[in-house]
Amino acid sequence: MADFFQLAINGFAIGGVYALAAIGFVIVYEATGVVNFAAGQFVMFGTFAGVAALVNAQLPWPIAYAAALFAMAAFGVLFFLLVYWPLKLSPAVTVIIGTVAISITMQNAALLVFGSWPVRIPSPLEGMTVEVGGAVVSVHALLTMAITALLVGGLWFLLHRTSFGIGMRAVAQDVQAARLMGLKVGRVLAMSWVLGALLAGAAGLLLGPMWFADVNMGDPVALKAFAATIIGGFGSLPGAVVGGIFVGLSEVLGASYISSAYKDLISFGIMIGFLFVRPQGMFGEKIQDRG
Amino acid sequence: MLACNNLTIAHGDVVAVSGVNLQVGAGETVALIGANGAGKTTLLHTISGLNKARSGDIQLDGTSILRLSSDRRVALGIAQAPEGRRIFPGLTVEENLVVATANWKKIRQSCADDLDRVFQLFPRLKERRTQLGWSLSGGEQQMLAIGRALMARPRLLLLDEPSLGLAPRLAEEVYERVKVIASAGLTILVVEQNTVLALAVADRAYVLEAGRVVLDGSAAELRNDSRVREAYLGR
Repeated sequence: MADFFQLAINGFAIGGVYALAAIGFVIVYEATGVVNFAAGQFVMFGTFAGVAALVNAQLPWPIAYAAALFAMAAFGVLFFLLVYWPLKLSPAVTVIIGTVAISITMQNAALLVFGSWPVRIPSPLEGMTVEVGGAVVSVHALLTMAITALLVGGLWFLLHRTSFGIGMRAVAQDVQAARLMGLKVGRVLAMSWVLGALLAGAAGLLLGPMWFADVNMGDPVALKAFAATIIGGFGSLPGAVVGGIFVGLSEVLGASYISSAYKDLISFGIMIGFLFVRPQGMFGEKIQDRG
Repeated sequence: MLACNNLTIAHGDVVAVSGVNLQVGAGETVALIGANGAGKTTLLHTISGLNKARSGDIQLDGTSILRLSSDRRVALGIAQAPEGRRIFPGLTVEENLVVATANWKKIRQSCADDLDRVFQLFPRLKERRTQLGWSLSGGEQQMLAIGRALMARPRLLLLDEPSLGLAPRLAEEVYERVKVIASAGLTILVVEQNTVLALAVADRAYVLEAGRVVLDGSAAELRNDSRVREAYLGR
């Protein structure tokens, strides 16, 4: 039982990271209609922003995290200006291929700057554990869960309780009507890229101490986040959260109770199962229900 | 207040509106009538800045607005209730209304008075304020679309086919409200296929056919014009 508890906490923690990555992906998709194939590299950039600030520059924790997140926000603006805006009138396929190209560029840029050796980012809570009911749980995992919950709550507040967030939802639902209501649509779209980059950055920073920081880490994260959105329901924020945690749990529990060699097979198997049986996912709505 | 001078609009190579001259004076209600595909909606979209004009000019109070983005035009006082209502389906009634205050509302500034005014005009919306947009009936959605445009604090209200898809009784109800809004002094340009309803609220009207103004005059004149009666009033 203690084992199970310990594994479940780890599953929730890694699931929280997947959830954040998935939300970053979903926010951009909902607002701009772009399926961002570079989403995994966004997370990788978040991790390496942490490497640069914590390992290379040796900044103190709070400043390092703030600097890394600031860099990610700036990266979101840059991505909006250099990738999304020039392609905004192109067909969807062009934009998607564009994000694939950028994804490869980002990965190789990271390889050039940071090299191919994996680095480990220490956590500010390095080595700290607590005992809960006989299970030894890492404090970093608990903190990851707490931060995920906080960010999801904050995002909900932004989208439902602030004028700016309500405007974001309006733009996501009907761009033309949003223009007629006087919303500054360009600014809202830019903000959704910034939010996407920030969430990916947070995911990357939390992931750093759990995995090794490796320039190839983006693709597995992207696949897991993608599986999370399929399972939760494509385009749904609660779906991304539940889907992310679901994938994290199935991966950790599957690895220890079934086989660690098959841990990816389990989460992707579930995803394929969803595509067959319930393609709209857990929280997805059928398109015609959107009125 | 609003003047379109020799305005030509094209979608690619297809000219939708050609050489239109149209004036709306302050406090006036002007109707733009015509059959489906005559270019009415294209004209309204261009006034709001969703389409570009090929040639000609659009002026608000004597200044050209052609180069302004749509949000700047809303800030100058041009609000539109678009064709097909275009309610934000996943936003509540109240959120739909509040979202339209983006051009003037500062952070922490309240729009409660504006909300009250809209709810007074459309009491049904107040009952439904926490419901999502898609769950409203067609008539309620139309009222929400008009209320939403009013939240932008417009000086010129553009209405695109407010009777579209509504039962006759509901369409009349909507137009009664339009009359109330007009009598409060707001300038209105209404596009409509339902000529009877439009001419009943308008002071003046333009008839658009295949992208050209073929007739214009006071609403009373047009009601009695034989061509209008034959083509649009079915008598």
